[in-house]
Amino acid sequence: MPYLGSEDVVKELKKALCNPHIQADRLRYRNVIQRVIRYMTQGLDMSGVFMEMVKASATVDIVQKKLVYLYMCTYAPLKPDLALLAINTLCKDCSDPNPMVRGLALRSMCSLRMPGVQEYIQQPILNGLRDKASYVRRVAVLGCAKMHNLHGDSEVDGALVNELYSLLRDQDPIVVVNCLRSLEEILKQEGGVVINKPIAHHLLNRMSKLDQWGQAEVLNFLLRYQPRSEEELFDILNLLDSFLKSSSPGVVMGATKLFLILAKKFPHVQTDVLVRVKGPLLAACSSESRELCFVALCHVRQILHSLPGHFSSHYKKFFCSYSEPHYIKLQKVEVLCELVNDENVQQVLEELRGYCTDVSADFAQAAIFAIGGIARTYTDQCVQILTELLGLRQEHITTVVVQTFRDLVWLCPQCTEAVCQALPGCEENIQDSEGKQALIWLLGVHGERIPNAPYVLEDFVENVKSETFPAVKMELLTALLRLFLSRPAECQDMLGRLLYYCIEEEKDMAVRDRGLFYYRLLLVGIDEVKRILCSPKSDPTLGLLEDPAERPVNSWASDFNTLVPVYGKAHWATISKCQGAERCGPELPKTSSFAASGPLIPEENKERVQELPDSGALMLVPNRQLTADYFEKTWLSLKVAHQQVLPWRGEFHPDTLQMALQVVNIQTIAMSRAGSRPWKAYLSAQDDTGCLFLTELLLEPGNSEMQISVKQNEARTETLNSFISVLETVIGTIEEIKS
Amino acid sequence: MIGGLFIYNHKGEVLISRVYRDDIGSRQAADSAVSSSSGPFPGERLGGSMRRNAVDAFRVNVIHARQQVRSPVTNIARTSFFHVKRSNIWLAAVTKQNVNAAMVFEFLYKMCDVMAAYFGKISEENIKNNFVLIYELLDEILDFGYPQNSETGALKTFITQQGIKSQTKEEQSQITSQVTGQIGWRREGIKYRRNELFLDVLESVNLLMSPQGQVLSAHVSGRVVMKSYLSGMPECKFGMNDKIVIEKQGKGTADETSKSGKQSIAIDDCTFHQCVRLSKFDSERSISFIPPDGEFELMRYRTTKDIILPFRVIPLVREVGRTKLEVKVVIKSNFKPSLLAQKIEVRIPTPLNTSGVQVICMKGKAKYKASENAIVWKIKRMAGMKESQISAEIELLPTNDKKKWARPPISMNFEVPFAPSGLKVRYLKVFEPKLNYSDHDVIKWVRYIGRSGIYETRC
Repeated sequence: MPYLGSEDVVKELKKALCNPHIQADRLRYRNVIQRVIRYMTQGLDMSGVFMEMVKASATVDIVQKKLVYLYMCTYAPLKPDLALLAINTLCKDCSDPNPMVRGLALRSMCSLRMPGVQEYIQQPILNGLRDKASYVRRVAVLGCAKMHNLHGDSEVDGALVNELYSLLRDQDPIVVVNCLRSLEEILKQEGGVVINKPIAHHLLNRMSKLDQWGQAEVLNFLLRYQPRSEEELFDILNLLDSFLKSSSPGVVMGATKLFLILAKKFPHVQTDVLVRVKGPLLAACSSESRELCFVALCHVRQILHSLPGHFSSHYKKFFCSYSEPHYIKLQKVEVLCELVNDENVQQVLEELRGYCTDVSADFAQAAIFAIGGIARTYTDQCVQILTELLGLRQEHITTVVVQTFRDLVWLCPQCTEAVCQALPGCEENIQDSEGKQALIWLLGVHGERIPNAPYVLEDFVENVKSETFPAVKMELLTALLRLFLSRPAECQDMLGRLLYYCIEEEKDMAVRDRGLFYYRLLLVGIDEVKRILCSPKSDPTLGLLEDPAERPVNSWASDFNTLVPVYGKAHWATISKCQGAERCGPELPKTSSFAASGPLIPEENKERVQELPDSGALMLVPNRQLTADYFEKTWLSLKVAHQQVLPWRGEFHPDTLQMALQVVNIQTIAMSRAGSRPWKAYLSAQDDTGCLFLTELLLEPGNSEMQISVKQNEARTETLNSFISVLETVIGTIEEIKS
Repeated sequence: MIGGLFIYNHKGEVLISRVYRDDIGSRQAADSAVSSSSGPFPGERLGGSMRRNAVDAFRVNVIHARQQVRSPVTNIARTSFFHVKRSNIWLAAVTKQNVNAAMVFEFLYKMCDVMAAYFGKISEENIKNNFVLIYELLDEILDFGYPQNSETGALKTFITQQGIKSQTKEEQSQITSQVTGQIGWRREGIKYRRNELFLDVLESVNLLMSPQGQVLSAHVSGRVVMKSYLSGMPECKFGMNDKIVIEKQGKGTADETSKSGKQSIAIDDCTFHQCVRLSKFDSERSISFIPPDGEFELMRYRTTKDIILPFRVIPLVREVGRTKLEVKVVIKSNFKPSLLAQKIEVRIPTPLNTSGVQVICMKGKAKYKASENAIVWKIKRMAGMKESQISAEIELLPTNDKKKWARPPISMNFEVPFAPSGLKVRYLKVFEPKLNYSDHDVIKWVRYIGRSGIYETRC
C-alpha cells in the first residue's frame, strides 16, 4: 500500500533534496527528483516537498527543469503561496536566450492552476505571442486559452483576440491551428471563432502544410463557413478533394463530413462523396488497428441507414474472422444485417447461421437477432433457419430465437403459421425471464393455433410459486386470460387457480394488482373482457408508424465523425442530456424522474391543464374513441389546417403524454414505441359541436423540436386556435416537468 | 481534445498519468472527496482527486471488468475513455468532449510509435525505466490536450534524454530554423558520411477460406517502410509495378502490355506519408517526396486481386463415433522452390472435452496444448512447391453436454521473403541538387517480407 507509508517517504525525500552533497552532484539530485515524480504518479501525496522542489527549479539542467515544472503544475493549486515563489524563476526563464527554455517556462507557468496567477502570466504571454521562435509562439497562443480558462467566465480581452486573429497568418502551421483552438475556447460564449471568407480561404491554402492533427482540426472549423456562391462552394470542394484520400482515417472522415455538410443542397454530390470514400472506409474496416476498424464500422452503419445498397457488393469484407475482438464482430453482424439484398442474401444468411453456434453466447445471440432483422424482408428463409436452430436444444439459442419470433409475428403476420408450428417443445429449453415472457406471449396471442398451448401454460401455472421474475407472472396472467377467451374449456380451471394464487399469495404488488384487475374485469362479464383485451391491438394497417427505411443523409451529416455513431444516437442523447443537467448545477431540484408510483403531473401543473380548456370556448367531448381505420380514412381525406413546431428535447415517456392528453379529452389513436426515431403519434378529439380534430405529432431524429400538424373536418378558425392552444399547453407542461 | 492520458499495466496499476484539462473526472465527486477531509488517504484527498477518479474509474470498469471488452470507447460518468492495448499495457486517452474518435485512436497509435522509436518495445519494464522520457514526450506532443508536433525526427530536437550538458549555440539556432522551416518533418543540415537507404516492403496477407477450398475473402495490407540516412534535403522518386503506371508507359504494342500486365498489380487504395506530393501522384501517379530523417512509413496500400496465397491448407475432419475425431491437415507451399518460408505454425483447434491426442507429422514438431485447446504444429523452414502433412487422432471424453462443437477455423502463421501482393520496387531515385552526391553514390537496400495476418481455413 503505497498510500499509507507516504509520510516516511516524504521525510526521506525531503532530507535528500536538502542534502548539499546531493545537490552538488547533478545526477544524484536528478535521481531524487525522479523518485518524487514516480511517487506522484503512483498517487502518493508529494506536496510536502514543494519548497525543496521550487529550489531545484533554479538550474541549467533542462531535464531537471522539466521534472520540477511537471511537479509544480500538479501541486500548485494546493500550495498557492509557495507556488508564487516559483513564479520568479519561471519569469526569468521566459526571457532565456534558448527558445526551448522560454517555451517550457511559459507552458508551465500557464499550466499552474491557482488563483492569482493571471497577473503574472499576462505579460509573458503577450511577449511570447511576438517571440521570434515559433516554438514559443505555439505555447503562448495556447497559453491565452489557459489564461481565459483560469479567469472563468470573465469578459473577453478584445485586444488579445485581435492579436490572435492576426496570428492566423503566422507562417508556422501549428501556430495557426493553435490560434483557432485558442480563439474557439476564448470566444465560446459568443459561438466560437468566426470563419469569414478571407480566413476560410487562407486556411484552405495552408491545408497541405499542416500535419494530420491540424488538418483534421481545420476541416472541423471549416464546417462553419458558408460559401457565398455555388461556384465558390465547388472551388472549395475541388481544393479539398485530395484529403478524401489522405493516409489518416481521421482526416478522411473529417473531409467527408465537410463535403456532406457543404453540399447539403446537392444530394448527388453527397452520394458521389460517399462513393469515393468507400475505398478508404473499407480499408479502415479491414485494417489491423482494431480500434480504428471499430470506428470505421460504426460509420459504415451510419452510411447504410441512408444508402442501404452502398456496401452490398462488398459484403464479404464484413464476414467475421475467428480471432477478431468481440466488439468488431458485433458491429460486423449489424452491418451484414443492413446490407442484405436479393443477390447476397443466401451467402449472408449462410454466414450468419455459422455464427449462431459460436462459443461466445453473446455473439451467437447477436447473430440470431440479426437473422430476425433480415427476416422482415426475407421471411421464409430466415424462419426456416431459426426453426432449425431450435433443434439444437441449446438454452441460450432457444431463448433468443423465441424472442425473435415474438417480434417477427408482430411485424410480419404472414409467418405466424410457421412460427406456431415451430414452437411446441421449446419450453424445455428456456430458463431466463426474457425468453419465458416471449414464449408466454406467443402462446397467449396465437394459442388457438398451437394445439398444446394450454398444457404448456399449465406447467407454468403449476410452477408459478417458484417463479422468480414478476414480469413472467404478469405475462402469464395476460396470456392465460387471452387464451381463456379462445379456448375456455381447457383454461378455466387453471385460470381460476392462477388468479387465486396471485390475489391471495403473491407478494409482488404489481402482479397482485393485475390479478385483481383481471378478476374484477371477469366479474363485469366476458364481453367486457374481450373489449379490453382484444380491441386496441395496434393493427398492421398503421404500418406508417414503423420507421421509414431510408433517412436522408442530411439527418446525420452533422453527427458524422463525432462520438454519436460510436455510442449510438440514443445512448449519446442520454449522455449529453446528463451533461446538460450537470452544467445547470446541483441546486436544481431533481423532479425530472418519473417515479412509477409518484403523480405523473405535479399538482400545480394539473390545475393549469384542467383550467385551460374552460378558458376557451372549446369543449372537448370525453370518450370519443375513433377506430384506427376510420381515423386513417379521415386523415387521408383532409388537408392540413395548421402546422407548427414546438421546442422539444431529449427522451420522454409516451405513456405520460398519453395520460396528460387523456386529461384534456384528447384520445391517442396510435403511437410509436418510446425512443424510436422518428417518433410519431396520432391523436383525435371532438368538440361538443361534433367538429373533429385529427393531429399528428412528429419527432424527427436529430431535431430538437416537435412538429405538429392538425387537420379539421370543419373549417372553423377560432375552435382550431383554441384546440391548438390546449395541445400546446399539454406538450409544454410535459416538456417542463421533463427537464 | 484530450483531457488526459494514462498508461496502465495489466494489473491496472498506473504507470504514467498526465492530465491536461481539469474537466475530466466528475467535479462533484472531487468536491465530496475534498470535503471528507478526515479520509485515511491524504493522497486521494489532495494531489489529484479529480485525476484519480478518472484513473480508477477506468481500472474498475474496463481493466478489471469480468466480461470481454465491449468497445474500445467506454463512457463512464459522462467521460469517454479511448483505449488501445499493446502487449499487456493499456493506453487510455480521456475526454469529456464530443471528439473525433478516429483521430484520438490515431493519436494513441502515434504515441505508441513515438515511444517505440525511443525505447523499442512497449512493455512495463521499458515504461518504468523511461518514465521521465515519456513525461517529456507527453509534454511536447500534447499541449492543453491538443496534439502538437508528433514527428519523431522533429521531436528529437526538443527531447533531451541526456540533457546534462547545456546546449551549444549551434543547436539553439537549429531549433529556430527547424521550427520556422517550410518542411515540418525534416530538419536542415543533416550530414552522413555514407548515404544509405533501406526500403522494406512489409505485407500481411489475410485469408478466409471455406472447407471446400473456396476463397471467401482475401486481402493484402502492405506498408512500404523507408529508413533513410541521406544528407541535405534530398528529393526522392519511388517507382513500383503499379498497373496504371505500367499501362500508361506500355502503350506501345498490345503484346508488351499483356506481358508486363502479368507483373503489374492493381492497388485498391493507397495512402502516403504527408511528405509525398499528392498533387503529383494524382496527375502523373509518380511518388516524389523529401523524406524525413530516419525511419518512416512511406506508403500504405491494400490489394485484393491476384494475391499469391503462400500456403494452402487442406483440412479433413472425420468424427468416428462419439468419442473420437480423426484430423488430417495437408499444407502446400505455393511459391518458387528457391525461396524459403520461415516460422510456420499451424494451429488446429480441438474440442473442449479432448482427453488425449496422438499426432504424427512428416516434418517439424507438433504438440497438443491442452491449455489452448489446440494442436500446434511448428515447422522452422519450408521451401516452395512442397507439401507436408499432419494426422492426429483426438480422443474425446463422453459428455452429456448437448452443445455441438463449433469447429473454429484452422489458423496459420508464417513469414515469406516475397510480397504476396506481387508488388515490386522498380526504382528509388535520389536527387540532391545542393550537395555533391548523385543517385549512384547512394547505397540502397530493398527487402520484401510477407507475413500472415489473419490466415484462416474453416474446417
